[in-house]
Amino acid sequence: MAPLFGRPSLVRRLVILAAGWSLAVLVVSAMVLALLFQQAALRRFDQGLLELIDNLVAGTTIGDDGQVLAPALTDLRALRAYSGKYWQIAEPAPGGKLKVLVRSRSLWDSELRAPADLAARHRDQPGRPVSYDTRGPLDEPVRAMATQAKLPNRPTPVVFMAAEDRSPVDRDVRGFIAATAVAFALLGVGMVAAVVIQVRVGLNPLFALRREVASVRRGKAERVQRAYPSELAPLADELNALLAHNQEVVERQRTHVGNLAHALKTPLSVMLTEAGQRPGPLAEVVAHQTEAMRQQVDHHLRRARAAARTQGSGERTSVADVLDELARTLERIFRAKGIRIDWDADEALYFQGERQDLLELAGNAMENACKWGQGKVRVRAAPLSSERLRLVVEDDGLGVTADQRASMVRRGERLDENAPGSGLGLSIVDELARAYGGALRLDDSAMGGLLVELDLPRSEA
Amino acid sequence: MRILLVEDDPDLSRQLKLALADAGYAVDHAPDGEEAQFLGETEPYDAVILDLGLPKVDGVSVLERWRRGSMTTPVLILTARGAWSEKVAGFDAGADDYLTKPFHTEELLARLRALLRRTAGHAAPNLECGGLRLDPRAARASVNGEPLRLTSLEYRLLHYLMMHQGRVINRTELVEHLYDQDFDRDSNTIEVFIGRVRRKIGPERIETVRGLGYRLTPGDDPSGQTAL
Repeated sequence: MAPLFGRPSLVRRLVILAAGWSLAVLVVSAMVLALLFQQAALRRFDQGLLELIDNLVAGTTIGDDGQVLAPALTDLRALRAYSGKYWQIAEPAPGGKLKVLVRSRSLWDSELRAPADLAARHRDQPGRPVSYDTRGPLDEPVRAMATQAKLPNRPTPVVFMAAEDRSPVDRDVRGFIAATAVAFALLGVGMVAAVVIQVRVGLNPLFALRREVASVRRGKAERVQRAYPSELAPLADELNALLAHNQEVVERQRTHVGNLAHALKTPLSVMLTEAGQRPGPLAEVVAHQTEAMRQQVDHHLRRARAAARTQGSGERTSVADVLDELARTLERIFRAKGIRIDWDADEALYFQGERQDLLELAGNAMENACKWGQGKVRVRAAPLSSERLRLVVEDDGLGVTADQRASMVRRGERLDENAPGSGLGLSIVDELARAYGGALRLDDSAMGGLLVELDLPRSEA
Repeated sequence: MRILLVEDDPDLSRQLKLALADAGYAVDHAPDGEEAQFLGETEPYDAVILDLGLPKVDGVSVLERWRRGSMTTPVLILTARGAWSEKVAGFDAGADDYLTKPFHTEELLARLRALLRRTAGHAAPNLECGGLRLDPRAARASVNGEPLRLTSLEYRLLHYLMMHQGRVINRTELVEHLYDQDFDRDSNTIEVFIGRVRRKIGPERIETVRGLGYRLTPGDDPSGQTAL
């Protein structure tokens, strides 16, 4: 269907088709009903005229002088002038005209008009009354009937005619049509409303599917889960298969990058060790270059992981669990330094994303704090809103200047060349936080050192 | 000093064996997980250098089996994978230190020396309390053979409670023994740490004595003696 208003709409299409068909059916049936009613009404009307004519024919006699004598009819209406009920008895005159012999009092001195082909129709079907419409003495529309009969003792046939004002019937028919039209219009409106509701309700699963797909894209759900009607179920299955395939491709890429990176590290270790055992200028170059290669490999490995994050996975991770794991791991790593990690997070606080990524985010920030701190690291996680949470990591080290802070998140920049580690920590945190639609902020801590604040997506309940 | 080196790369193994021998250690080499597990369980080593990416059985599984079998030898993990999830898994399995490839041989030797020095000094006996076991030498604890995962404060809290098991210890005493004097007190309260330790060792083992403090009991351990 060509779009009526801009984009084609399923709802509009279904409503227009169903409503169009129902309206056509309604209009045709209203017309047929009106026609049937009118015909029935006219048939009853004609019946009355026929009875009048039959009475006339039966009661008419011929006088001794050949005069036609009409019976005294009991219908009083025919006596009152222009009452609307008329009869007359006539005989065919030359030139197709009729010569009135007797007429009802109501006609006064006018006469009932006959159709031009009356004689011919009587000739074709003798004895059969002819019905027709004409005008009465007051120019009112009348329904008339004429029949030709032979009377005893009279050589020429006589035409009996009766007529009655048809406006009451016409009024009834008009009233019926008006009532029918109103009723059918109401019915039509009701049917269109029913169709609209039916289409809306019928297409509801489609709208539900759209909402579910949207929540998958936003990372709130992992797959389409609701039970759909048989027409939509295959589409939902296909969607899920596509999502699974997508995830698999991303996962495979990640694994490839990871395998390549890790496969490079053992040879790098061999080179570094070999160089260490044969001191000299070559060994220095090898050691230096090996370190550069390691940094590159680490950087791109983590970038690949961060890039794969843009696609939501629907997973959620307990913040308290991750902080607990990291605290005891880091305390062991920095055991020689006697670092103590004071962490706190609500048990019911969840990060919207993978555990592995929260481990990287919090782990690198906390490791950085352990490196620069003098013994104590404070970690706090708290909800910001229903969709965001804040993670703050502080240390009691010497802190950094504003300029240094700006350069800290630049790739691989080290503030103190003597501190262990590659210095990639915070730039990776920054990158990963961005991939999660979050942000990293650096500030001075009240404890003396650096304050790292992370704004991250939160999963509620 | 006898060292077990578990590494599958032949070049790196050869180099490390040489370096370790030069540094004065006796070195045994296992090229895969199965052999490593067997050697670790049967020979008395002073330390183990364990690569995580191993054929047959991976390094983390080997380490977990050793620790479950109550082997307390210090273990230094070598791995190509530097992700935090792997570090956490390594330490939770019972590692004592961690070195990411590639590394300088000097750094490995320095870490190994530190590890040996750290574990040699203390000769404190293991503490036990109805299925709970705490090894002060390795700073590790387990409950019914399952290794416990504790942060340093939680470990100190449990250590103190185990040294004084059966006795009611009030909050002030706990606070004084948990925190060093040079540092600010942790802003988490003692109740928070008691709660976290309870979750890890089972809630019935630490009794709250109202108005007085806390008491460690053997709990409802099937093997334990419930008498105080």
